[in-house]
Amino acid sequence: MKTLVLGLGNPILSDDGAGIRVAQEVGKQLNDPQITVAETSEAGLSLLDSIAGYDEVIIIDAVQTEKGQAGQIYRMGPEDFSLTKHFTSPHQINLATALELGKMLDLAMPRKITIFAVEAKDITTFSEKCTPEVEQVIPEVVKMVLQELNAKHPPEG
Amino acid sequence: MKKIMIDPVTRLEGHGKIAIFLNDDGGVANVYFQVPELRGFEKFSEGRPAEDMPQITQRICGVCPEAHHMASTKALDDLFHVEPTSAAKKLRELLYSAFYVTDHTTHFYILAAPDFVMGPDAPPAERNILGVIAKVGLELGGAVIRTRHENHWVIQTIGGRPIHPCFGLPGGVSKAINEEERAKIEEIAKSSVEFGKLSLKVFDDVVLKNKEYLDMVLSDTFTHRTYYMGLVDKNNKVNFYDGKVRVVDPEGKEFCKYAPRDYLEHLAEHVEPWTYLKFPYLKNVGWKGFVDGKDSGVYRATPLSRLNAADGMTTPLAQEEYERMYSTLGGKPAHYTLATHWARLIELLYAAERMVELVRDPEITSPDIRTIPTAKPDEGVGIVEAPRGTLTHHYITDERGVIKKCNLIVGTTNNYAAFYMSVKKAAEDLIKPGKEITEGLLNRIEMAWRPYDLCLACATHSLPGQLPLEVTIYDAQGNELKKLSQGIS
Repeated sequence: MKTLVLGLGNPILSDDGAGIRVAQEVGKQLNDPQITVAETSEAGLSLLDSIAGYDEVIIIDAVQTEKGQAGQIYRMGPEDFSLTKHFTSPHQINLATALELGKMLDLAMPRKITIFAVEAKDITTFSEKCTPEVEQVIPEVVKMVLQELNAKHPPEG
Repeated sequence: MKKIMIDPVTRLEGHGKIAIFLNDDGGVANVYFQVPELRGFEKFSEGRPAEDMPQITQRICGVCPEAHHMASTKALDDLFHVEPTSAAKKLRELLYSAFYVTDHTTHFYILAAPDFVMGPDAPPAERNILGVIAKVGLELGGAVIRTRHENHWVIQTIGGRPIHPCFGLPGGVSKAINEEERAKIEEIAKSSVEFGKLSLKVFDDVVLKNKEYLDMVLSDTFTHRTYYMGLVDKNNKVNFYDGKVRVVDPEGKEFCKYAPRDYLEHLAEHVEPWTYLKFPYLKNVGWKGFVDGKDSGVYRATPLSRLNAADGMTTPLAQEEYERMYSTLGGKPAHYTLATHWARLIELLYAAERMVELVRDPEITSPDIRTIPTAKPDEGVGIVEAPRGTLTHHYITDERGVIKKCNLIVGTTNNYAAFYMSVKKAAEDLIKPGKEITEGLLNRIEMAWRPYDLCLACATHSLPGQLPLEVTIYDAQGNELKKLSQGIS
């Protein structure tokens, strides 16, 4: 089973880079040819290109919600897509539409998509560092992603 | 307070706010436009080695990293006083043309086509790419995906990495391509030409053959007589990668033509108290407010502007389409904002044809891809045409090549003033006393700015808890009138 771990965001825009940071950390701790770790700052149709051909996809991104607290972690599934339809670039299309499009065109779409999101504090200041609130939860998100992967790819022995 | 929010503007990058205030009669009194500002890029870049800038600046924007990479690389050529080899220039332009094919394809099919194929009055749930494909056919959908996918492969093969190329160096590029890669790129280029032709046919069938749409394109509501900017080659033909910036006046006469180094002599920025945005304008005409015409320094830098600012295209099929467009629109320059979609498809065809030319050039597989810089760096300016407007990178360094100052004029910003004027004019023409404000009407206001494909906050695609762009309509007492949404909670 081919699995993709995809970090989304902009690595030089403070907390917007949280997803990419998590993916990089996850990548360091994995050595499984069935799991690909990637990062992208593109969205919409490009996301379709990225996820096509994988059985399962785990996406990590930053999030800004109205009442959320910086550093809060969310785990979401496709059932939440209706609420998060803009989490990819509104320039193009959202993930839900991209998936629907992929199915319509008979592309190999993942059977399962899980999204981990971190509530961001600052996504408008150029910086390679996340804010302390987000920085401190990154190890926890990494752990959650690894647990998710372990559940499907139990380590041998 | 009551307000109307137009949600469909979600098909626009970044998070912005448009507020439309009505007067006592229910007509439009004023329009405001605000976007959050990305902060601190200058400071972020200070103290870094200039050679890192093509890698860093391409991270500014999640939509057009290739454009920043290319403008930055050209700024480095200038900074280190080095002329890239001929093969290196051709490889850069080949990659850049493939990027144009992908970007223009995305804009047209995702953003523009739904309005026309589904119609401005179609419910938002259907007015999207899925609706377009359901109506036009799965075959076209497949072609859209395939063209993008293949050209991403071209970008990755030449640029060394998907999405964020790492091949631009002062004086050239970091890798050559081999014959096997060349042959594959040629096949992709040829099929992209066919795709360009197909896309223009779609535009013909859907827009031009529909009198209602053609009338809309030609209507005053979507028209502004402004100056136009675009990069041209030595024969004043459109070029995305290199040349001088040419500006024509609203009558089509050349107003100025400048080399990248001279950009500050021609551009200035206007500031308004109600927004963070700075509005670039032509310094030598002057800022006269948000008005069009020859006395106003407002200019546009869009696909249509590039065609207006040039004398033609260098490739045969695109040139044919160029002539056909201006003859249909009643001459040059064309001031019809909605015709920008048409111009974009002509540029798509040009980019594909240019790929074929470049990939068949015997020099394209040459290993002579780098001139090693030997001069001391000091200051450099690089300009390319980004899909959303003329993109300028300007760096000043110390003698070690460490950035002391950095100034960027991002493509989108060129069009801020015109964008605002287009929103305002469409709102004024369409919102009338006693007329119900329907979703179709609001979508027509959106159609006035969609051609600009404004990037408001590059690459921040965190899950927003707010709408990417809210349009709020207030009555004379400041009360919200109505709320429309696309099922967003």
